Amino acid sequence: MFSWGYFLQQSMNGIILGCIYALLALGMTVVYGILRLINFAHGSLITVGAFFVYFIFFRAGLSLPASVFLVLGFGGLMGLVLDTIAYRKLRGGPEVALLITSLGFYTFVENFMKMVVSPQPYAFKTPPYLSIMYKTQFLTFRSIDVFIIVSSIIIMLIFHLFVKKSKMGIAMRAVAENLEIARLMGIEVNRVISLTFVLGSAIAAFTGFLWGAKYGQISYDMGFLTGVKAFVAVVVGGVGSIPGAMLGGFVLGLAEILSIAFLPTRFAEYRDGIVFAILIVVLLLRPAGIMGVKEEVRV
Amino acid sequence: MLKVEGLTVKYGVIPAVVNVSLEVREGQIVTLLGANGAGKTTTLKAVMGVLRPAVGKIFYRGQDITSLSPSLRVRLGIALVPEGRGIFNRLTVEENLLLGAYSRSSREEIVKDLEEIYLLFPRLAERRKQIAGTLSGGEQQMLALGRGLMARPQLMLLDEPSLGLAPLVVRELYTLIEKIRDQGVTILLVEQSALVALGIADYAYVLESGNVKLFGESEVLKSLDEVKRVYLGG
Repeated sequence: MFSWGYFLQQSMNGIILGCIYALLALGMTVVYGILRLINFAHGSLITVGAFFVYFIFFRAGLSLPASVFLVLGFGGLMGLVLDTIAYRKLRGGPEVALLITSLGFYTFVENFMKMVVSPQPYAFKTPPYLSIMYKTQFLTFRSIDVFIIVSSIIIMLIFHLFVKKSKMGIAMRAVAENLEIARLMGIEVNRVISLTFVLGSAIAAFTGFLWGAKYGQISYDMGFLTGVKAFVAVVVGGVGSIPGAMLGGFVLGLAEILSIAFLPTRFAEYRDGIVFAILIVVLLLRPAGIMGVKEEVRV
Repeated sequence: MLKVEGLTVKYGVIPAVVNVSLEVREGQIVTLLGANGAGKTTTLKAVMGVLRPAVGKIFYRGQDITSLSPSLRVRLGIALVPEGRGIFNRLTVEENLLLGAYSRSSREEIVKDLEEIYLLFPRLAERRKQIAGTLSGGEQQMLALGRGLMARPQLMLLDEPSLGLAPLVVRELYTLIEKIRDQGVTILLVEQSALVALGIADYAYVLESGNVKLFGESEVLKSLDEVKRVYLGG
């Protein structure tokens, strides 16, 4: 029973989930591009960002712009701390040490959150102005949906311009391609890497807020699977490619939502499995991802 | 201008350079010759600060720079054009050049220098928006030189610039190096092909297994039987 209205509606839901994956994938792909690190800790920022907003926005009653501003700042600061205390000393060592550290950092944060906020999920009630319903002929949506799409597009645009045009952005791409040579240019490589974490983490924390506002519930372990799926988006789009990460995010979001919408109901509980099935299919067809280029092996 | 005193650099426990001393005078081209593995690149990397010496000191304009980071050395006016050119293949020609000027802050001056580089290397101007990985070997070497110049160096370290280039391109390249010297940039040139290097250098050092074996004015070295036999193939 196919109807275009239903398809459109579900596509929009898919795009919204895609926005969230795409934002997360941005931060993961730049970190992967430079350090060859699958940054599991990225997921922890989603959780702490969501709870941070829960407390300052809903409990303390700060305004929306102030909360957005603060959660970005808080996420950025966490990124800086993460890089400084956990990763910096490990650079130049085996990559697997970084990987385990990031997993450890995630686990630490998850357990810390479990202890502090309790294992119960929290209801994340959006204020009235974020839940205004709009009905058009085909689509029904709330103001939060508009907020997510608009803010995501703004962030992606700014990020894209930053990486393409700014001096720091060019330096970032240079470090990703060849760290040694970048150092010869006088680039302070550690500073560039820190900035990468700061930006990615700020965005991830903000994404935690979007997630909570959209799906109405946050919990201490919400970041794990979301983070892993964001990395799937990175791989699907083509590792290290920034446009690829965004594309991968949208592909994944759409595929996840549309498959639940159109497959028989009993498949709905396999939505996470479906995401990974997509990953496998894409990698079989295009091993480097949709927009990826084959990578020279580093020696 | 540059003085290296008793430099020893090790990779782990294996010494690559042992007790090397050399001096580069302002306005000169000094060349560092030697076979593969003689320690030429290691010496340059130590001068740039990418490798830390186990023993020895490096002085630049009388200042001890041994413990300074590469980025500080760039700021002081030292630039290294690495072996194999070290172009950022995925960035455009212009982005590569701009990265050369990373440590400088005046936008206007950078833009002005960019135009000057394009005058010096017209082929780079034609390809400014092109991805650097698509350039030919000769063009990539020009780009590497141009990028080095964008730092406005007073001392340029060139690591085997002629490697892998056709003889005609090498000649063009060496004309450019002389031009750069004439603009007041001091050059420390590492080469395996001694003949071309001795042709433009004022002074030369010959390294062998990490030690300075011979040194002297290029003219004098060229006429030594030993140099002729081993390095000049005659």
